Amino acid sequence: MKKIKRFFYSADIDRFRFYVQIISFGVLIYGGCLALDLGTHLPTFACPFAAGAGGTCYLFPLQHQANMPLRQLLGGRGIGLLSGLGGFFLFFIFFNKSWCGFICPLGAIQDWITRLRVRAGIRYSMYSKATFQRLKKIKYLLLILLVLLPLGISNSLFGLPRLSHDFATPYCMACPGRTVLPLFSGDAGQLAVDFSSATTTVLTALGMTVTGLFFVGAFVKRRFFCFFCPMSALQYLFSKAGLLRLTKDGGKCTRCGNCYRVCDMGIREIAEDIESRNIVKDDCMMCFKCVAACPEENCLKVSFLGATLYAATEEGFFKRSSREEKRGT
Amino acid sequence: MEPDRTERLRRTLKKRLAAETRETLQWTEQRNTGSPKAMRYFYDVFRRWEDPAALVGDKPVIATSCMQVPLELILACGAVPLRLCNGSHALEQAGSEFLPAKACSLVRAIMGMISVFRERLQERLSLVVVPTTCDQKRKAVETIAEGAFKVYPLEVPPSKHTEEAEVYWRNAVKKLALTLEKVTGTRITAGRLGGAVNDVRQASAQYRRLSRMQQHDPPLLSGKDMFLVMNGFLFDDVNQWTAAVARLNDELDERKQQGLFAGKGAPRILLTGSPPLAPGFKVPLLLEEAGAVIVADEVCSCSRLLDDAVVCGEPKLYDMIPAVADRYLKPCTCPIFDSGEDRRRKLMESVRRFDVDGVVYQSYSGCQLYQMEQRGVGHVFREADIPMLFVETDYSPEDRGQLSTRFEAFVESIQSRKRRI
Amino acid sequence: MKRFCGIDIGSAAVKIVLMDEAGNMIAHSISPSGNHFYRSAADALTRLLETHGISKDDLSRTVATGYGRKLFKDADLSISEISANALGTKKVNGNGVPVKTIINIGGQDSKVILLDDDGNVKEFGMNDKCAAGTGRFLEMTALNMGLDLDELGRLHLDAGRTPVTINSTCTVFAASEIISLLADGHEKGEIIAGVHCAIARRVALLADRTGVADRVLFDGGGALNQGLKSALEDELMREVAVPAIPQITTAMGAALYACEGF
Repeated sequence: MKKIKRFFYSADIDRFRFYVQIISFGVLIYGGCLALDLGTHLPTFACPFAAGAGGTCYLFPLQHQANMPLRQLLGGRGIGLLSGLGGFFLFFIFFNKSWCGFICPLGAIQDWITRLRVRAGIRYSMYSKATFQRLKKIKYLLLILLVLLPLGISNSLFGLPRLSHDFATPYCMACPGRTVLPLFSGDAGQLAVDFSSATTTVLTALGMTVTGLFFVGAFVKRRFFCFFCPMSALQYLFSKAGLLRLTKDGGKCTRCGNCYRVCDMGIREIAEDIESRNIVKDDCMMCFKCVAACPEENCLKVSFLGATLYAATEEGFFKRSSREEKRGT
Repeated sequence: MEPDRTERLRRTLKKRLAAETRETLQWTEQRNTGSPKAMRYFYDVFRRWEDPAALVGDKPVIATSCMQVPLELILACGAVPLRLCNGSHALEQAGSEFLPAKACSLVRAIMGMISVFRERLQERLSLVVVPTTCDQKRKAVETIAEGAFKVYPLEVPPSKHTEEAEVYWRNAVKKLALTLEKVTGTRITAGRLGGAVNDVRQASAQYRRLSRMQQHDPPLLSGKDMFLVMNGFLFDDVNQWTAAVARLNDELDERKQQGLFAGKGAPRILLTGSPPLAPGFKVPLLLEEAGAVIVADEVCSCSRLLDDAVVCGEPKLYDMIPAVADRYLKPCTCPIFDSGEDRRRKLMESVRRFDVDGVVYQSYSGCQLYQMEQRGVGHVFREADIPMLFVETDYSPEDRGQLSTRFEAFVESIQSRKRRI
Repeated sequence: MKRFCGIDIGSAAVKIVLMDEAGNMIAHSISPSGNHFYRSAADALTRLLETHGISKDDLSRTVATGYGRKLFKDADLSISEISANALGTKKVNGNGVPVKTIINIGGQDSKVILLDDDGNVKEFGMNDKCAAGTGRFLEMTALNMGLDLDELGRLHLDAGRTPVTINSTCTVFAASEIISLLADGHEKGEIIAGVHCAIARRVALLADRTGVADRVLFDGGGALNQGLKSALEDELMREVAVPAIPQITTAMGAALYACEGF
């Protein structure tokens, strides 16, 4: 049993994740063709605008459900919102934020672009500590707007006039998922500005800009988009209840910073925080690169309902390093 | 000094140095008949100290001091790193000429090494890289340069974990890489650096394996032998050293099966503080003579050298050089930084991992850093009810009797503690 | 009948304690070390055994301690004088208030030993590099003033006036200072008191660095000197207890170790 465990702990998690991402991509983009439908509560960017998608991202129904008069929201119809949230929660807690690292198709695309960048020898950028602290708040702002904007259609919020119906799914208009994911089924139709009204023009133009930023950003910074992602913010609200856990034993930490170095999101706290046990921060996408980079036995651990699935081991660290060296990567 | 006197001094010092080396070998190789056969390689490497000019082989040499200089960069340039830090009383006295009376023994010994073996070193030495760690090392830069050596001060930040420190150090290491390229005439490519990183990482892997042998109760190797093994790393060829340690590890695994141990029943000690260095290992030798066995250490001539490992995110120079830089700064437990927290935590973790009975904290007389850190470290151990003995010493053999008395008293007090518990 | 022997070979004197199996002291001796520690120690032991009609074969175990313990080849074991002193203190103190600190002023060193609740060594500090806090300073003072060591204590306590401050930190330089103080017309008593204060201050510094806790036991040859005891109490600002025969506490500890181990 111990030998099997040690074999798994020495595995190259990044390689494993690469394959999981490909399979997930397949399921989420093409699953519909095989009559797969994982529902509308997915905690990931499975886009309904892509024909043949195997499921729908939860933010889509969320925006629709927020578009309700407050009276009804707080009354019987509000239960719909709650049950939607409940469905999202149930899907979420199994994999915690590893939905971002292992399953999200937008994440996978960014990772593929990163591989191209590395092959081209272009160096990456990272945010300074101060910038990081300032920018990370944006995703919460975006999450709040995601709910407020549709709400503002059925209600007059803050004394403002009601918003036009073109604001129905504002985030879908702005989201790069809508423009990029259908491309994989041969549909380039979303890459356009909709001039039917002022609102749609602005929103779709914003969508084109965001798409551009998405691609450029991925060439400049690893997982650029994920830093601002409102889905990430929504997930983090429930992360503490996640059944899949990433924990740290601070006593073993030498503060070598290897975990922070390899972190695509650039989270310093993995290295700096030696007090917390649960080391999943709001930007974390639970890709577990940090666990693979840690040379201290059992310092970082991935567990599911108490059972350890993957842990940092000395043996694993050195095995992986020499494998990488042999591969010349 | 006039050439005749210099020559005379040199001959005398070389003789004394050879005598010091032989004495240490007597206490280890000869008295330690139960030592593993694979130790012979390390005794032979240690023997080179009888004539340090032989430490400098045929390849271009980059001399270093301290442990913050990234060896991977030197290796990637096809050069050989040579650490000047040594524990010779003879060289310490030779170096006293250049330094104040109360200066640190180690800095004096470095100056002594440089002045006594100047001609031979100048033939082979392309550069002396001195990290600006403690005050005395920093000021020694100019003194070393007086000896007509090309010296490069490697700028070490006074903090470890601030963003400014990280940027400062990464830039310093980048500059060093460029300088090394110029001096050796070899470009550092991703392939060469990757190879060097891997070589050092393999050494680290074998070191960790060896260190784990000491977690066993009783340990499989005496502390004396461990120090001699690590001493080899300071100037031996990396790959040869790694292979020799691998052989030693294999033999120790066998000995574990056969039940052959070192220091059975002896109190398990963690030695920390100023580093014991070749050829004088006075403190570890006396400590083990007094009946203890050193199972763990926290010094820059032993465990600190290879405990940490580099990880590269992307296999390109723009990532590898900062990766190498980070490994030499962030986990570093040298007392030069404004916070000793990482060191205290590491000490406590080592005490736990190696099931240590007591700690011996040594400080050289000229070293204020270790003496000042002793307070904080002492608090931590007192709170954890772990006995700690603080000794202040230098390279001279005069205080052997006094050290022995203290070590014996410490060992006896631990033994009586263990009997009660 | 089994007999156990503890022999403390100090730089100034050889102290021997003979003990029976129950741990009671049968005999003891104190004699000068002279120039040949081993010979003096061996002779002293022979004499003590003869005086009490005990043959060497009766000695079940001999434990040596002190500065010259490694030189004394006739011992079965040796232990450090710190551990021996702690053991001896346990015996000497008996059921009294537990001793937490031992201050030993010997011929060539001074020690401060902190004990835990069980009377075992917790921490210790030694001054064995400088004669300024040791019996050697007293010897030199007595020599320079043409007095016997035994007279120093009484002269200190009889002198009414405040002690003279000795400025030199070095024992050797202090000798010249004392001579000039005598020439200036200072009383022997007040100069001796000054010397005692200088020693006490040094020892108190060592004690502060190591830690002091009540109850304090003062032993070693220096404890015979009432003047020095008083100066030490002033510096430590607490009372110190002195055992009946302060020079043999360490030897007693060695004998106890021979008798019953730790």
